[in-house]
Amino acid sequence: MLEVKDLCCGYGGRDVVRGVSFGLAQGEKLCVLGPNGSGKTTLLRAVAGLLPRRGQVLLDGTDAAALPRRELARRVALMSQLSPVYFSYTVYETVMLGRYPHRKGGLLDRDSEADRAAVRESLERVGLWAHRDRPVTELSGGQLQRVFLARAFAQDPAVILLDEPTNHLDLKYQLELTESLRAWTARPGRCAVGVFHDISLALAFADRVLLLQDGLVRYLGPADALDRQTLTQVYDVDVAGYMRATLKRWE
Amino acid sequence: MKTGTKMTLLALAALLALLAGTALGSVSIPPGDILAILCARLFGAPLPPDIGPGYPAMVLDMRLPRVALAFLTGAALAASGTVMQSVLQNPLASPFGLGVSAGAGLGAAIVIVTGLAAGAMGNVILPAVSLVFGLGTTALVLWISGRIGRGNGGVTIVLIGMVASLFFNAVMDLLATLSPSYAQRINLWQLGSFSMREWSAVWVLLPVTAAGLIFFCCQARALDVMTFGQEQALAMGVDLPRVRAWLIGAVALLTGTSVAFVGIIGFIDLIAPHVARRFFGAAHRRVLPASALIGGTFMVLCDLAARTLTPPREIPIGSITALLGAPFFLYVYFAGRRRERL
Repeated sequence: MLEVKDLCCGYGGRDVVRGVSFGLAQGEKLCVLGPNGSGKTTLLRAVAGLLPRRGQVLLDGTDAAALPRRELARRVALMSQLSPVYFSYTVYETVMLGRYPHRKGGLLDRDSEADRAAVRESLERVGLWAHRDRPVTELSGGQLQRVFLARAFAQDPAVILLDEPTNHLDLKYQLELTESLRAWTARPGRCAVGVFHDISLALAFADRVLLLQDGLVRYLGPADALDRQTLTQVYDVDVAGYMRATLKRWE
Repeated sequence: MKTGTKMTLLALAALLALLAGTALGSVSIPPGDILAILCARLFGAPLPPDIGPGYPAMVLDMRLPRVALAFLTGAALAASGTVMQSVLQNPLASPFGLGVSAGAGLGAAIVIVTGLAAGAMGNVILPAVSLVFGLGTTALVLWISGRIGRGNGGVTIVLIGMVASLFFNAVMDLLATLSPSYAQRINLWQLGSFSMREWSAVWVLLPVTAAGLIFFCCQARALDVMTFGQEQALAMGVDLPRVRAWLIGAVALLTGTSVAFVGIIGFIDLIAPHVARRFFGAAHRRVLPASALIGGTFMVLCDLAARTLTPPREIPIGSITALLGAPFFLYVYFAGRRRERL
């Protein structure tokens, strides 16, 4: 469904992502891991078409660079890192904005039955339907994060790209969010790529892992085959050992 | 209260303000007489005999054009302010921040000191030149920020706009200092006034304002999306560079045209959008028409105060908008806050 070929991208002439390739089949969930500054977010933003890039991004065989913004937004949604909101839209209105690429626009544009159904379903998925009339400026960081996920769902794309979606969330909501993402990708014709900070959560969410180090791919493959040695080298700390030590505390 | 009810009340308030603005002044004209004069003019109905001899001329040639000009200017500035705040994702942004007013001011100052303003075509040349200068300055600001601003368009535009405004204001002050005989005229122009009261200005501003408002309303959804930031707007399918350029261009045209006729009138562009959002929420398809109505109504009332509070002297309209606007704004803003907390 999504195929990325030899992607290079950076800021001010210096490449941060250097020749990354990966492919995603339908129903797959890929997590991008790597230490700070390894190029995870840059990779995601380049795939979303927000940064100038070299190399190719193919969506069902079509070059994404050739698609107009609106058409691209019907196929790919991005959930950015949490940013402040300044204007007091209601939760419902905010999620309805996800329908933007599907609407005609213009003076007489009204919410259609399909728009309303998509918004309701998305809000129910993240458990915020009861909060639909609250202004987003009054929500907690965690609630806002779920509103933005619902907006990505309402966009009804084939691919959802997530940049650290579980930041600011309590453990309960981290698990709920990954669960609602898993349920979303289970429908035919969908896949998801997520950048994660929390390695345990990433491995619980994804079936495949892309491990980045200095903008290069160190590992690409099934989540269960990721070995201890590679992780230790990339993160410069014994990750698996730390996890075991943590686990002991609970036994 | 429902949105439709609120909008109707707002439209009624606007009509009342227009009526009051026409009725009150050095001579008060009864509202019934105003309607009779309007009917006579529009539908050829016979004028009742008991109407004062000077009234028709006063209503049709002096009060009405002035009130209409005030309303249109207020509406244009308020709608432009709403759009700028959303495009730049900054609740304190203003169309004047684009350098429109400073550029227009410089243009006007040049026309004034060269003596062209006092000439036969002065009433045409002054607004035309200042509009060209205002649009030119905005184009310059956008061009410079496009060249240096990578990925951070909003902040760069605000900064470059501020630098350009300060620079052109300084040049205007320099011109005023070097030609003291014109300094007062330049100064008065800067403060803004509706005293020119000419229909020709209304006939230019009306279609520009109407077209601008319709265009903004067509882009209401894109504006909604843009308030969440550039990255999210792009990811949701807004063709940001193109849409933003069109919107800013329209704002510059709207603001530039009104500034060219009436001078620089601040504050309404800033407060009307916030008042509108208090009562109508954040969605642009409601906020845009609401802030235009609020801006227009408020401007008519301010102009009424400007010419009736200290007769026969007129208070500069810019001072009135700030004098009345600041406390009104604080009241609306904090009254709303308190209610929400309870």
